[in-house]
Amino acid sequence: MQDKGNRDQRPVTKLVPGLSRRTMLTAAGAAATAPLLGRRARAAGEPIVLGWVGPLSPPGGYAEGILMKDAAAMAVEEINAQGGVLGRPIKVVYADTRGMPAEGRTAAERLVQEDKVVAVFGEFHSPVALAEIEVFHKYGVPFMACDVWSDKITAKGYPEVFRNSTAVSLIDTTIGEWMVAAGFKNVAMLTEKDDIGLDSRKAVAAVLDKSKVHYETADAEPTLTDFTAQILRFKSHQPTYDLFFSEFAEAGAYDMIRQSHDLGFAPTAKTAIYNSGGAAVDPTFWQNAGQAGVNLCTENVGLPKSGWNDKTKAFVKTFTARFKASPPGSAMESYDAAWLLAEAIKASGGTAAKGIIHALETTSWVGTRGKYSFSTDRDPAWHYHQFMDAPLTIIQYDKYKQSADNAPILWPRKFATVPYTIKKPV
Amino acid sequence: MAEYLLIQSLNGLVIGVIYAVIAAGLTIIFSILKIVNFAHGEIYMMGGYFGYFVISMLGIPPIPAIFVAMALAFLLSVALERALLTPLYSPTTERKSDYGILVTFGISIFLRNIAIILFGPFPLRPPSFFSGALVVGDFVMTWDRVFAAGAGVALLGLLVLFLGRTSWGQALNAVSQSRESAAIVGINDRLAYTMAFGLGGAFAGAAGALVGPIYALTPSMGLQPDTQAFAIVVLGGMGSVGGSIIAGILIGVSESLFIALFPDPSRGLSYAQAFSLLVLMVVLLVRPTGLFGRTHTAME
Amino acid sequence: MRALRLACLAGLAAIALAFPHLVNAYWLTVGILAMFYAIIAASWTLLVGYAGQFSFGHMAFVSLGAYAAALLVQWLALPVPIGMLVGALLAMVVGAGVGFVCLRIRGPYLAIFTMAFSEVLRIVFLTENEITGGASGLNVAPLFTSRSNAPYYYVALGLLVVSLAVMAAMVHSRWGLFFRAIRENEQAAAAAGVKVVRFRILVFAVASGFAGLAGAFYGPFIGILTPDIGSVDQMGLVVAMAVIGGSESLVAAVIGALSVEALVEALRAYGQWRLVLFGLLLLLTMRFARNGLLALAWEQVRRLTPASWRTPHAREAAE
Repeated sequence: MQDKGNRDQRPVTKLVPGLSRRTMLTAAGAAATAPLLGRRARAAGEPIVLGWVGPLSPPGGYAEGILMKDAAAMAVEEINAQGGVLGRPIKVVYADTRGMPAEGRTAAERLVQEDKVVAVFGEFHSPVALAEIEVFHKYGVPFMACDVWSDKITAKGYPEVFRNSTAVSLIDTTIGEWMVAAGFKNVAMLTEKDDIGLDSRKAVAAVLDKSKVHYETADAEPTLTDFTAQILRFKSHQPTYDLFFSEFAEAGAYDMIRQSHDLGFAPTAKTAIYNSGGAAVDPTFWQNAGQAGVNLCTENVGLPKSGWNDKTKAFVKTFTARFKASPPGSAMESYDAAWLLAEAIKASGGTAAKGIIHALETTSWVGTRGKYSFSTDRDPAWHYHQFMDAPLTIIQYDKYKQSADNAPILWPRKFATVPYTIKKPV
Repeated sequence: MAEYLLIQSLNGLVIGVIYAVIAAGLTIIFSILKIVNFAHGEIYMMGGYFGYFVISMLGIPPIPAIFVAMALAFLLSVALERALLTPLYSPTTERKSDYGILVTFGISIFLRNIAIILFGPFPLRPPSFFSGALVVGDFVMTWDRVFAAGAGVALLGLLVLFLGRTSWGQALNAVSQSRESAAIVGINDRLAYTMAFGLGGAFAGAAGALVGPIYALTPSMGLQPDTQAFAIVVLGGMGSVGGSIIAGILIGVSESLFIALFPDPSRGLSYAQAFSLLVLMVVLLVRPTGLFGRTHTAME
Repeated sequence: MRALRLACLAGLAAIALAFPHLVNAYWLTVGILAMFYAIIAASWTLLVGYAGQFSFGHMAFVSLGAYAAALLVQWLALPVPIGMLVGALLAMVVGAGVGFVCLRIRGPYLAIFTMAFSEVLRIVFLTENEITGGASGLNVAPLFTSRSNAPYYYVALGLLVVSLAVMAAMVHSRWGLFFRAIRENEQAAAAAGVKVVRFRILVFAVASGFAGLAGAFYGPFIGILTPDIGSVDQMGLVVAMAVIGGSESLVAAVIGALSVEALVEALRAYGQWRLVLFGLLLLLTMRFARNGLLALAWEQVRRLTPASWRTPHAREAAE
């Protein structure tokens, strides 16, 4: 019972109101033909149990956690509709972590000990993932981390731990390079006080320092909703800042973007605006940001539309039909993670951890986010078991209610769909 | 710099009015029922969502929706009072103040968490009352904020009139001074408790509906205003409606100036949230009667 | 009767000691966390239920003990157990300080004050991230390096037994009478010669010290600390534990903590519904069974027992 009444804006629901007549017919057809396909296609026998971890209640970031869970459930339905793995169906046990390391740790223990999972995927908070990987490492259970950006997760060098999302060092070096290329000279930075915000600031600052770009920083608690004072302070600064960069993923990001716009700080002819952290590609972005979202830059951690493969297209179509919103990158990562683990089990021919780890190290499976491969190089340490080609583009909305996939791509230049690297409103 | 401080003060003034509306509700409940309502912030949150759904589902325009949200917050508060607070009036209940604290704290946990399930985790934003912004030279303020402040002042004015000029208000005032004497002159004290809790909730709900377009609505939005309202009520002197209006504005303005003047900008915003809490602690320690209050350090 | 009670106690002790061999590693972890919460709920009960000092800032001392212990070990390279002890002592001293400055404040004012104190501390731990790691968390050195959690279990059990013994000794001595006198009517207690100031500070110090000790143990066990352990929602969970069990008895609070923690685990798949349920349970307990569900259950058991079985003491109490 997720949502009553607000069905048109709210994408998350367990009632699946968006399940169209057509999908139902297809599903019914699949069920009817399944017996004809014989034993192989029918997922029979003892299920193979996978675990999922992530925040489903406060103080965790449950908004995104619930989307990731829904995407994982979609993957499992599809895997089972195709006959499961090794002739057995896949079952996922979902464990809520409330965004707290201690809860993550017990959740991990539970999945391993009680539910006897063969592998685990998911997460959203880096500190929680760091507590969980200790458990997975202790018992040797493979773990595919999704949407956790802290470098430390892979830098620990645990053979069980893989990451199919981007990492702070990957993402923020790219953002820093874009800032330099776009010619910004004077940047105001506002970051949220948490793992992503602070690491991100450090990584961006490193690039800016190297290129001698001037910047000023301010931090804010993730729960903050009124940024007026800080924005006015930035606004009154001389000389005028040419970019307002914020790393703010929580609900307050919408307020910040709107307040910056309403107070006439950014976007303006002089000052561009960038928000990092995913809030600007979430389903309720336009409802909350309104006109203030036009001209905003942000990163998209999915493949650029030009690079979409059949799986991306199919996933986006089903997800959009079901939840009435285009999927954020974290949902795609959770979906792909379920598939990656299923494919690794299939490739290794069993559920032994060593086999799964080896299969992941050598995988070249193509998912919604492109062709996967996991680095085995340990220099620098965070490269180990990291998906180095994790897709990342910097986009800038140029129309109200534009979807992230249709927004002009500014960077990297090989994916760019427009000739400019930044457009300021006139 | 002087200009920046002036602009900041004006912004603080607007926020202060909203704080005052929330705190006035808390004060009414305190002065009549003699309990601190730890669920006040959650009623404020519910008011915001009531406003949102009244607009999006029933198609009521934003301004009348404030009144519907107030009425719904009133009804919700009355229902909670009837169901859970009646032991406060029974002579057999031991340590009533503990009961009041724990029950309202329980209500706050319950409402905050059921809201996630009912309204979903994503922030929601109702449409603006008036789009655009008021621009005077370097001073910019959205019309939504200007309107919220104006409406807040109007609501507070009505409240002061209601308490001072109507027989209902005088009856409430009598109960706040002495339950026994009020009963002797024939005032139905049970009805007064219900009215006071409902009225307090209605003001929290109104504040929630007013800030809807300014900040996005989230299930946990009540946590921060709750502690801020405590600070205001304590500063204003527990039980004094006029005191909490002045204290609300005072806290709003000084909080804005605190951010403006805090020497380390990378910490200013974080510590702004602690500012009103520190004021609260200092006032409790140094002058427990608040700036305008009566002696209320112990509750019977 | 005495023999029966001793036999019961011995049986309970045997189960508690054998627990790590009876369950798998997951339930062992749950058991350790349940005892962590039990220490907190019991010390909160001492403060609130016995002495009537209403505090919503108890988790602040847990978090203070945890961070202090972890940082001391990191900075001074102290052995972990010494760090834990110093962390607990620091929580005790700060607790005494809070008790001292709050001497003039009572009831809901004290609840508001302690809640504000707790939030300020959480914001400081979040903001001073160069020292505390902020929301990214602070890595804490482990107490044991063994693969099994059994050593942690025995440490937690030991801490729980010691803290319960100390607190029970306090409330069953003359001090316990003083606490209750202060709870019921401070002026009257003072007039009767109870040193109100001394005992209010003492109870704050002891309760905060044990909360800090629980926190100092939690850090090395989990391996990472975030300011969230001091959040209002965590405080709510502890309050629910104590009230559901019965906030006027140490043992009831402990049993409340153990059962609510087990419930938290059993309902893990229901994520968002868990706190809704505990909030509701808290409300229903307060409204209909103010002494806690345990006292309610105990009453039912007693009502069903024939009068002749009861000890004279119990019969007296029933009348």
